[in-house]
Order: sequence, then C-alpha cells, then structure tokens
Amino acid sequence: MLLREVEYAKPSSVAEALQILASNDGARALAGGQTLISVMKARAASPDALVDLAALDELRGIELAADGTLSIGPMTTYTELVDSAEAKARPILAEVCAQIADVQVRNRGTIGGNLCSNDPTNHLPPLMVSIGATMTIAGQGGERVVSADEFFLGVYLTAVGPGELLTKITLPAGKRDAFAAVTLGVDGTCIASAAASLNGSLRIALGCVDATPVLVEPASADEGAVREAVRGAGLDPPADVHASAEYRLHLSEVLAVRAARQAAERS
Amino acid sequence: MGSTTTIAPEKVEIQAPQTPYKGQNVPRKEDRRLVQGQGVFVDDIKRHGMGYIHFVRSPYAHAHITSIDVSKAESMKGVFGTLTGEEVASLTDPFFQISSVPGGNIKDYALAVGKVRYVGEAIVAVVAETRELARDASELVEVEYEPLVAVTDARHALDDSKPVLHEDAGGNLMWSGVYEWGDLDAAFAEADKVVKIDELHFHRFNSTPLETDGALVEFNRGVGQWTIHTNNQFPGFAAIMMGPAMRTGIDKLRFVTQDIGGGFGNKITSHPQLVVCCLLARKLNRPVQWTEWRTDFHMSMSHGNERWFHDTEVAVKSDGTLLGFRTKALDDAGAWLRYEPLGGVIWAQVTPGMYRWRHIRLEFTQVATNKAPVSPNRGYSRMQHLWFTERVIDIVAHELGLDPIEVRKRNYIRTEDMPYETPNGCVYDSGDYAQMLDVATDLIGWSALEEKRLDAAARGKLLGVGIGSTLDSGTNNFAQSRMINPELQFSGNNEVATVKLDIFGEIVVTLGTTPQGQGHETTAAQVVADILGCTVDDVHVRSGHDSYWNSHAGFSGTYASQFAVTGLSAVKGATDMLAEEIKRLGSVILGGVPVEALELAEGTVRIKDNPEAALPFMACGAIINANNAGLPDDLDVTLNCRYVYRPPFQVPDIERKFGNLTLTYAAQVHAAVIEIDPETGYYEIVDYAAVDDCGKRINPQIVEGQVMGATAHGLGGAMHEVFEYDEEGNLLTPNFYDYHVPHALDMPPLKTGFVESPSPFTPLGTKGMGEGGGAAIHAVCAAIQDALRGNGDAIVWDSSNPYRRVWEMLSSPDTAGGRVSVVDA
Amino acid sequence: MSENAAALSSSRVITVTVNGTVYEREVEARKLLIHFIRDDLDLTGSHIGCDTGNCGACSVIVDGTLVKSCMLLAVQADGSSIETVEGLADGDELAALQQAFSDRHALQCGYCTPGMLMSATALLRTNARPTEAEIKKGLQGNICRCTGYWNIIEAVALAAERTRP
Repeated sequence: MLLREVEYAKPSSVAEALQILASNDGARALAGGQTLISVMKARAASPDALVDLAALDELRGIELAADGTLSIGPMTTYTELVDSAEAKARPILAEVCAQIADVQVRNRGTIGGNLCSNDPTNHLPPLMVSIGATMTIAGQGGERVVSADEFFLGVYLTAVGPGELLTKITLPAGKRDAFAAVTLGVDGTCIASAAASLNGSLRIALGCVDATPVLVEPASADEGAVREAVRGAGLDPPADVHASAEYRLHLSEVLAVRAARQAAERS
Repeated sequence: MGSTTTIAPEKVEIQAPQTPYKGQNVPRKEDRRLVQGQGVFVDDIKRHGMGYIHFVRSPYAHAHITSIDVSKAESMKGVFGTLTGEEVASLTDPFFQISSVPGGNIKDYALAVGKVRYVGEAIVAVVAETRELARDASELVEVEYEPLVAVTDARHALDDSKPVLHEDAGGNLMWSGVYEWGDLDAAFAEADKVVKIDELHFHRFNSTPLETDGALVEFNRGVGQWTIHTNNQFPGFAAIMMGPAMRTGIDKLRFVTQDIGGGFGNKITSHPQLVVCCLLARKLNRPVQWTEWRTDFHMSMSHGNERWFHDTEVAVKSDGTLLGFRTKALDDAGAWLRYEPLGGVIWAQVTPGMYRWRHIRLEFTQVATNKAPVSPNRGYSRMQHLWFTERVIDIVAHELGLDPIEVRKRNYIRTEDMPYETPNGCVYDSGDYAQMLDVATDLIGWSALEEKRLDAAARGKLLGVGIGSTLDSGTNNFAQSRMINPELQFSGNNEVATVKLDIFGEIVVTLGTTPQGQGHETTAAQVVADILGCTVDDVHVRSGHDSYWNSHAGFSGTYASQFAVTGLSAVKGATDMLAEEIKRLGSVILGGVPVEALELAEGTVRIKDNPEAALPFMACGAIINANNAGLPDDLDVTLNCRYVYRPPFQVPDIERKFGNLTLTYAAQVHAAVIEIDPETGYYEIVDYAAVDDCGKRINPQIVEGQVMGATAHGLGGAMHEVFEYDEEGNLLTPNFYDYHVPHALDMPPLKTGFVESPSPFTPLGTKGMGEGGGAAIHAVCAAIQDALRGNGDAIVWDSSNPYRRVWEMLSSPDTAGGRVSVVDA
Repeated sequence: MSENAAALSSSRVITVTVNGTVYEREVEARKLLIHFIRDDLDLTGSHIGCDTGNCGACSVIVDGTLVKSCMLLAVQADGSSIETVEGLADGDELAALQQAFSDRHALQCGYCTPGMLMSATALLRTNARPTEAEIKKGLQGNICRCTGYWNIIEAVALAAERTRP
C-alpha cells in the first residue's frame, strides 16, 4: 500500500554507506527493493531511513578467477547473473535466477538482497549453503568472512548486523549442482525446495522447512541415503495455506532425492 | 428446433470487416484509447481539493466494538475528517434486505455499527489531503474491541454452541427453502441403483478483476445531488439500495462510469462504500476519492458462494440413465447479505444441468459466518450447481464402471427436444450438447487416449482426461426473487438504448450498460450500422454509463450474461425506430414516395429503384433539428429514439417454484488432459479444448475472448485460487502473493471450437454469454478423478484441487477423497 | 543527481525524463514511483492492480530496463529516463505492438494493457523473434484476468513478425 514517512540517502561509496548505517539505528540498506519496498508498503517493517546502494559500483560485478572461484558483488541483479559470461562457470546460478518470479523482479532484485532478506522461501539461501559459499561482511571496523552455514540466522535475519553491509559473495569452483522445487505456479514462490551440490561430498540444503536453510549431508546420492539423511534431520516444517507440515516434509524428501540425482548426473 | 453450424478452427482468423457487420470480427472501437493508456478508470479522475479515503478495518472476525476515538486522527495535519458507524446509523437507514425472515431482519449499514463480523470489515473512514496521509491517520484511530468466538465453518454455523452474528435474525440461519419437482419416490423405486455421495464442496474464490473497486464522489449542495464516478457494474441495483438508505430520491444519485478494469460480477455490491463516499462528500463539502486496496478487496469484497452438497442420493438405472437426485445445499454467505440470498434461487435456472432427469429435490440453506460477504462471481450460483451435476455424472460413471462420455451422451438433453422445458419450468432455448462433446473430444485427440496414458506412465506421470459441460443461463427474470421472498415486487428485466441522428448527421448511441471489457461500443455499432446501412465508423457509441443520459432502467448494468440479448435488443429496437423515422422523413422530403419504396444505404435514405434520389443523413438531421418549418403537422419524427427492451417473461408460480427464470441458455463443453506427478501431487494441463455455443455471434472474436477469459478463471479457481480462512477467521490469501492467479507461463495450450444454435427467443438469435459456467473447474476435477482411477480411486469432492489436495488423494485415498457408496435400489 | 544525495532527507527535488519530457518535482522519499507518475505527473496510463508487486500493471521502462514502478521509490528514479505507455505511439500512429494487440483481441477491459505493452516492448527490444515460450516468460510479471493470455501471446508474435528486420 503506502510507506510510512522515511528518510532517504544515496551514498556514493561503501564507506559513506557504512557511516550512515552506523550512525542511524533505524537505517536499512536498500538494494533492489523487491522485498524491502513490499514489506514497507505493508508496514510490516518501517525503517526510519533507507540507504540506497544503487550508486555503489564497488558492490557490483562478477569476477571469475583462474581457479574457478567466482566473486559476486551483492548488488548484482538476477538478470545480470542470468546473462553473465563469468557466471556460466557455475551454471546453476543462471538456472535458478532465471526461475525467480518474473523479468521485472529479476531486473531489480539482487543476490545480496535475496540473501540478506532470507525469507524462508527464497531460492538463493539454500543454494549458497549447498554450494558452500562464503560471504564478506564490511563494517566501519573492517571486514570479516562468514561461511554460508553461519550466515543465515533466522527469518529476515543474517550475520550482517547493524551498521554493516554484505560486500561480496564468493563461490568455490564447481559444476555439479542442482535445484529442485515445487512452486506456486510456474516460476512462483517456493512451497518446498532443495539445492544439491556434489563437488566433493554431497551437500543438500532444504529451503522452506525452517527459519534458515537446513543442511543435510547424505553418505551418497542414492535415494536411500538421501531419504535417510532428510529423515534424520529432525525437520519440523511450518504449515501454511500451501502445505501442511506433513506435505512439506514429504516434498522435501522427494526434492532432495531429485536434486541429488540431478547433481550426480552433471559432469 | 434450431439449426446449427459447426466449425472447429484452431484459431479465429482476423479478416477485414465487410457488411453486413453481424458475424464479423470488427476491430474494437475501445482499443485505440485503451492501448494508448487513454482509458478513464475511476482512479484516473481528479478533482481539485479532493480528499482521499482510507478505511480502518477490523482485525477481528467477530467482536463487539466497545469504543472508537477518532480525535487524534482528526487533529492530524492534512486530515479533512472522518466517518464512523455511529454517524452512519444516525444519517441512514439500514439497507433493504432481499431476504424474507430471518435474514431479512439483519441491519446492514455502510460501516460496522456496534460489532464487527469479519476480518477486514470497515469501521471508520478517514479522509485526508493525500493517500499517504489518509493511511497514516488511520493508524491514529483508536478502536477497542471485545473479541468473540468466530463462526468459520458453515456446517456448524447452526449449532447451539456457536455465537450468533446478527442478533436481529435470532440465529445464523439466513434463508432456507425446499425445491422439489417430479416424483422422487417413483424415481427411486424405478432405479436399479442409488449412488450416495456424503459431501461435496464448492470452494470460495472469485475473479479478482485487476482494477479494484473505487469511486470519486462529488456533492452538489445547491440541488442535493451526488455525482458518483465509479466502477460499480450494476448501477440500477446500487441506486435501489442507496436511495432509500440515504433517505434521498434515486435521481439524486447520478452514476457515471467509463472504463472499468474487469467486473465479473465482483463489482456489484460496492454500494456500502459508495454510501460512505456520499456521506463524506456532503459532510466535508469536498469531492472524496476511494480506491480499494487489493488486500481490502480480497478481505472484504464479493467472495463467490461457498456451497456444500450433503447427503446426495442419485437414482440411476444400470445402463447409466439418470432418473433424479436429492441433495442438501448449504451455502456460506459470509457476514452480510448484499445480493444474497438470490443465490438461493438463481441456481434453479439450471436445475437439471444439461441432463434429462426429471425428479429433483434440493433443500437450500444459507447461513452467515464470520467471513467476507458473498456476492456474485462469474457463473454466480449456477456454476456451483452445474459443478455439482457434473460431479454427479462423473461419480456415477466411476462407481458403475461406465464411460463418462457415454453417460453424458445418454443423459444429455437432446437437440431435437429443444426448446426444452426443465422440471421446474425453465426453457432451454436451443443447443446441441452431444455435438459439442464430440467436437471437444476430437480436439484433444480422445481416440489416442490410451497411447497418451502409456506415454505419460513411461515418464512417471499419471494421465487424466476429463469433461466439463456447463451452461450460461442469460437474461434473468427477476421474478425469481419472489421465490426467496414472496413480498418482493420485482419481475422481468429490461435494458435501454437511445440512438439519434444529430444535426450534422452524426449517429450517436447511448447504452444503459457498464461494460468491463466486453466490447459493447463495438458490437452495438455493428448492429446499428447493419440496420442504418452505414459503416461502423459512422456510428458513435458513447463510452460507459451515465444516469443523466436517461438511457437506463431499473435493471441496467452489465452482469449475468445478457448484453447480446438485452443490450443489443435495446439497440436494435431503438435503431429500428430511428430507421423507420428516417424513412418517413425521407418519404416526405423525396416527394411523397411510399416508405416501402425506400431503403437506407451508404449513409442515405433513397429510393430503391432510383438510388440517385437520396437524402443524406446529415440533411435529415439538419432538417429535424434546425430547419423544420413546413413539415407536415402529423409527421411524428424526432430522430432521437429511446427503446426499452423487455424480454418476454411471466411471473412464475411462486408456490410450486415453477416457471421460466432465464431467457437464453448458452453452453460450453470443455475437455482437459492433465499429467500428475504422483510423488508430489504437482500437475499440469497438457492439452485443453473449449467448445462454446452462444447462438448467433455478432463479433466472433469478442465472444471467443470471453470463452478464453472464463476458461482462465476456471483454471485458476480449479488449481490455485481459494479464499482460505483459519479457525479464527483470518484470511490466509489476502493478496496476489498467496492467492495465486494464473500468469502467462501457467497457461496450457488451448484449442477452441464452436457451434451456433440461434435462440428462437431473441430478436437477433443471440444468447447472453461471458460467464462461462466454470467449465474448466468441472473438467479439471473430472481429469483428476480419471487419473486417480486405479491409483487409489479417490473421489474428487472439492472444486479446489491445489497440488497438496491431489497428493492427499493419492496418498490417503480413503480419507482424503469423498465418501461414496452404491446400494441397490 | 541532486546535491547532498548522500545526506538523509525525507523529501527531495528530483528530475526525471518521461517519454522525452523533463520534469522537476519535489517528492517525499516515501512516494512510490507509480504514484509520482500517476498523481504528480498526471500520466494515468500506467495502472495499479495490487499491493504486493505481483500484478505488473504498473510496469514501465526505466533507463532501458523493465521494472514495476510500484516497487521503486520516486527518489530512486532521480536522473532517470522513463518510458510509459503514453510514449509508445508516434503521434496518431500506433506502435506495432499496440496495433497487433487490437488486431488479435489481446485486450478486453484494457486495465493490464499498458503494463503488458511495456513488457512486450522490452521483450522485443532484446529478442526480435521470441518463441511462444519466450513471450510467456517475458510477460510472466503481468497479470491479466480477462483474456487468459492466449491472444496477448499471439499479438506479441504478430508484432514481432511485422517488425522483424
């Protein structure tokens, strides 16, 4: 609907942005806005101030290192990830980003925003966990690196604290990834999702079943092993209008099996 | 018996229009402004100094209002004023209730008075300088509530333990009636089997037109008259409801509409909000503007009837001949009766569905619950009943091991029996259902079915094919309202049009309708141009509706599948009058030539045998309007003709509930092919055919567009769309995020075909159409059930089948499916 | 971009170009771009159909990129060049997409149409010969409740055919 009164600033450097965030308790970073503006329209959350990151070129760009490591700026949009030549080094990125919502959302929504908002139905948190990405967080005091396993803390809550910004997402080399989901209509919101990565040991991250992605590490990609690992995770998924807890649990298992198989089939 | 022509094209080709225009795909006059963003929708209209309204709405499903304090809101800078239920109760009388007792006793005001009865009910209206300030100020309104237990399951609404929503009604029963025709005892005695169906449920959803409700209201103090710019689609009804409530004459309420962003029935009952706008425009002495939020629409506006069918018993012969049925229909009306309980009789327009059974009993009970008020939704009340009959066909076929196609063909009303009088005296005008079924099954390759099934199985999928047949009864006889309440003084129907030939030869048409995309300007021009012998470009049809045009009557509006009959017949009537006047004038001017020797062609009136003796329309208009000295005294010609079309109806036998309730019966038969992923319950539609028959088609592509739109609505309703409530009465799908409507990627391939069975009862052979009768829902339910055959054999019992329900039916067929039993008669 | 962009303020003066015309206005930071376009600039061709950024009726092109203008603040568009439906026709001559929409009966009530046209325009700029699947993908962010999309998809294909180089 309509936002409450808010202050707005558009800094031209990360240092400036951090300074504003650090000195204003109620300030929040504005990336693509595809989640935050929606939340503010509903008045579910009303930050006092918005710090627009749009002018921060330092937070954009995708770099592919010789060893296959990908460094992605958090302000990279889904469309940029889909179109990027560098990102082809990790095909799952474009495949998943192309499924997010629609063109308009993909043109504005960013990987950083998707990760930092950490809505349980978002695509990228489980994907980053399965891949084993690391996140670089900057504050006025300096930088630190947090693994994906430790980045997601709760619904809409991540390791990026007040006065801090996510500045880089780093993915190790790899190609044997898959993502399986049941969505509300084609390219719709995820009802259940599983991201699988078999670059080394098998990592499957389940979305939609808890406040943060749930990592399971089956002994192999065989159906039996995957099912056992999912069952052993002690999941207690939420029930909502789209799925009962039981249905969500069942879907998670099925999708984990499928994602594992698809990842294994990749060379 | 009507003649039929059958074509089953994959696409309707666009050709350049030629005369006669009837039957041509004339490009729409509406398009030019709409594709340029030059349409005028209600939120586009601005007035200097206008105030924006924001409604404070109830967070509780059921609660007493113990106090309201607007003082902080009113003192906020930029706020113009507020309106509370208390003020409304003193300034207005409760809205007229259609229902007899007990529902007729409820007191419905424009804002909640003393109590709230559903989440989202409007309690206070705040008006401010900007949209944002109105929203901000609404947060300063302080309301205290004493919450009550909510009634959210219609099946328990009448339990003694449940709280009562409307004390004036003495309980949650709003209306009930028993309908019975034929001889049930004889039917069940003659039957070989009785198929018993415990419970069927038609779910709550609606058409969510992309534009929400809205209005901009101005009050003229000097003459005490309101101008209501709005997108209400039935101004006749709104005026009847608002005038008495506001203690003002109907003529003081001027309704003006132009472009409306979809209606589908959902824009019929906005009169409470319009009353709020009117009262505020007068109180604050400035124009007030209201645009409904999407969330508010979902929470409070026009949910489609949610209906249960309990204890159904069907009398059948072993060969699948259906003799009759009895059932108990329980309708969940939500918190208020706005257009209800008309839904309690409107279903009877299609009592037997498309089938020949003659012995029918239906007990109808409508109750109030703490949910949004129900009012018409595309297919209104017939869709629910037709879904029921289609489920019965499918379930009977399933239980007796018969082919659903054969059962339909065996039981369909036959084309040679048309016009066909149903057990309750309705007359189906024409149609060939069996042929439509053949066209539909052909289009989806029915003969190759088993091959498709095996192919799907090889890919791990379950294939299902289903048929959904349905009717669009059109042009209501409002006398049926007397079956709800014998004291009502409504009957028949009407629509108005004016056609004039103006001073410079312009042909100007006004309609009483309120189109929301049906192309009235275009089809009306086609009819006029054919009669007057001019081009469609010569005919100017005014956009929208305006009470000041005096081109409307009591039932004017656009709802209930009728324009091709009522609207176009009014246009034809007015144009025939004008044509006759032009000829009489021509007769005088052309030297006393007899009228029979004249024709209208090329924008002139001329002598048939001597076309050069022609009087152009411009000359006719100029003579009558500005140069009329010397005309014969008895030449009664004004070239400004107003015609009221009145369909031929009688008042039915209210006692027996017998008589004709609708004039025309368009039909559709759909076939759906689906593939289910049995591990997840996810399914998609891999092939789809829609065949329609709406009699003579004035503009085929407009008609086809309606069929497509109705199909999309049906698919959305079948697969995703549901207004789901939790036990506390909170709506879980209050926006497009959770209430998923079909997007482009969700659409299946579509094949269409048509049959044309002209109506013998209408001036143009047309039938009203557009609602579509929910055929897609019937077809998808049937397809799912087919896919479950041999895979648990669950019976599809709910009209809403999202993936989770399909999975439940697959994994727990005994508990998740409907309970059906077959006994020997 | 205005001075002191980096300083927090609850309103600012912005300069936007819409369909070639430059506008300078003061706006509250909280004002959505769609409301700025409709209410401040009186360009009412772009519409609002929902509260949650799902319907796409507000779709416009900002600096060459298709966006939903209800999901952007007006202040975020400062310095941008915006295209709306009002800018598609060339005087009296309809754009190929607009003509094709009419030819293929791809609109009924017309409420979703401006947004659809902008999305289709953006699609054809990057993909002059889209397949049916690509058209659907390009229009996925635009809800229509009247047509069922089938005619819209045909209209976009027809426009592509008529304009292909």
